[in-house]
Amino acid sequence: MNGKERMAAAMRLSEPDRVPAMCQLSLGHYFLNCDQSEIDIWHSTEAFGDALIALQRRYGFDGILVNLPGRDPNWRSYIERIDESDEGKIIHWRNGWHTVCPSDDNPHVYRQDDTRYFSTFEELEPNKLFYIEPHDLSGLSYPYGWGFSETPADERDFFPSWHFDTIDYVISRAGKEVSIHSEVFSPFTQFLELLDYTNGLVALIDDPVKTKACLERLARGAIDLGRKQAAHKVDAILISSAFAGAGFISPDQYREFVLPFERMVIDGIKAEFDVPIYTHTCGNIGDRLELIRETGTNGIDTLDPPPLGNVELADAKKRVGDTLFLKGNIDPVNVMLLGTPEQVFAEASRCIKAASTNGGYVLSTACSVPPQAPPENIVKLREAVDAYRA
Amino acid sequence: MSILEQLSEALIVGNATAVTRLTAQALEAGLLPQTILDEGLIAGMNVVGNRFRNCEMFLPEVLTSARAMKAGVAQIEPLLAAAGVKPAGKIIIGTVRGDLHDIGKNLVAIMLRGAGFEIIDVGVGVTAQKFVEAVREHHPDIVGMSAMLTTTMMQMKTVITALAEAGLRDRIKIMIGGAPVNNSFAEEIGADAYGRNASNAVEKARNLINSTKATEP
Repeated sequence: MNGKERMAAAMRLSEPDRVPAMCQLSLGHYFLNCDQSEIDIWHSTEAFGDALIALQRRYGFDGILVNLPGRDPNWRSYIERIDESDEGKIIHWRNGWHTVCPSDDNPHVYRQDDTRYFSTFEELEPNKLFYIEPHDLSGLSYPYGWGFSETPADERDFFPSWHFDTIDYVISRAGKEVSIHSEVFSPFTQFLELLDYTNGLVALIDDPVKTKACLERLARGAIDLGRKQAAHKVDAILISSAFAGAGFISPDQYREFVLPFERMVIDGIKAEFDVPIYTHTCGNIGDRLELIRETGTNGIDTLDPPPLGNVELADAKKRVGDTLFLKGNIDPVNVMLLGTPEQVFAEASRCIKAASTNGGYVLSTACSVPPQAPPENIVKLREAVDAYRA
Repeated sequence: MSILEQLSEALIVGNATAVTRLTAQALEAGLLPQTILDEGLIAGMNVVGNRFRNCEMFLPEVLTSARAMKAGVAQIEPLLAAAGVKPAGKIIIGTVRGDLHDIGKNLVAIMLRGAGFEIIDVGVGVTAQKFVEAVREHHPDIVGMSAMLTTTMMQMKTVITALAEAGLRDRIKIMIGGAPVNNSFAEEIGADAYGRNASNAVEKARNLINSTKATEP
């Protein structure tokens, strides 16, 4: 089996020739460990695509998550100048905004008044929402427009063709051998990103009716994006739902504000495409694995173990492993970042033993691999799955 | 139910309008501002903290309680200042570089302010150099750092190292908090305390101030 076939088998709950290994790497990890500059990796389709493939090959992973959108090919034409600062490189855009690009973390866009843009809940009109892309070149906007355009995007043709360029780029170069996954932000994540987390969470209490109207609209955009990604032949789609764990909301709030809308997204994509869809929710999710399953997802990603989260992998396998594939459970901080290669190998072996029986498990860190995680630790994941097969 | 109990209850359910009204009523009734703060507002927020810790309340409810607390404290704070009540201590608080999450930091700041501390909020994405500059400018008793991301928590160690290199580490206490950190991480990076939630952060800050006073010549 190659990586693509191996991942497909695991995601469909059958038994591959060995446990596949595939991690989501933080963007900072690409910045620190690839030849291209952080500015190019963030802003250029080709540079990011090359970085994704380079680290997949270096670490021997069976899949790649394309977790930035394709970029406007003309992005350089919007730049006025680039400065150096203590915080990293600063891109000054022609419209007066600037992007701070740290050498090891995600860039962020600031407007003329030196603040990041967030919408207010009061100004939101649900029917003007469709999809929020937090990683757009120019950050967030409402009503949503791409890049520095002042014209809101029309939902009848919302996603520019270049939005899918990175997927095409990576599939054309690595898609025959490894599994290529795309990312769609869950309606709940989009909502919180647009409003800022505090205001978004308070809105659940202040006006649940309007909140749900917003989420319903954002689900439509997520369906549209997921279908288009599937049409571009991704092997799986990850629903990024980072704020749906117990660190943020209760199981009841999950049932009210997350579950119906993620189910809409998953049902909407699956109505047209038979593509595996899995859900990435961080932190304490041990109390809601069954709720996550009710969204119709095919798998759960992260599964943070104590102390970062509260998921015991063997318990998760017993509870939902008959219907969902599981991916993750290696502590990204205490093992991948701060641990030794031997500890990584031991933890990887523990996870494989706990969850790989009858297939349906992908060896992975729980959340993203931290920027400073030593590459010699990461390669141990692949060594562990090879050793287990042997 | 006494007016202070009503005040606590209104805060627990996150009713800022009722908290504003009841705080005003309590003041009109002649209750001391410090009493209203301690036995009404902070007492209510302690209940919120405990329920949050026990997973009986979650962030949306906690944030509405914090909003109500802020409304009450806004009425009390000027009266305490006018009466010459000295702050319990001065704390610089911020979220470390690379991390723009401010929920936890803001909750802790609200609770500390309510508990009588002077708070200098240096914001989010704060570099080690900015923490050093803020310490030089404001001479705090405590520096509080927050991180929500596993990718940014190591910045806390960078800040502590920078404070040491600037010769400032021995003059201050350092507290940390945030989803991915814990007590052993605090010890490992050389912080003086870890606050597991906003209420606990107040307790730890008081302990740090008391320990400093106890060792003063």
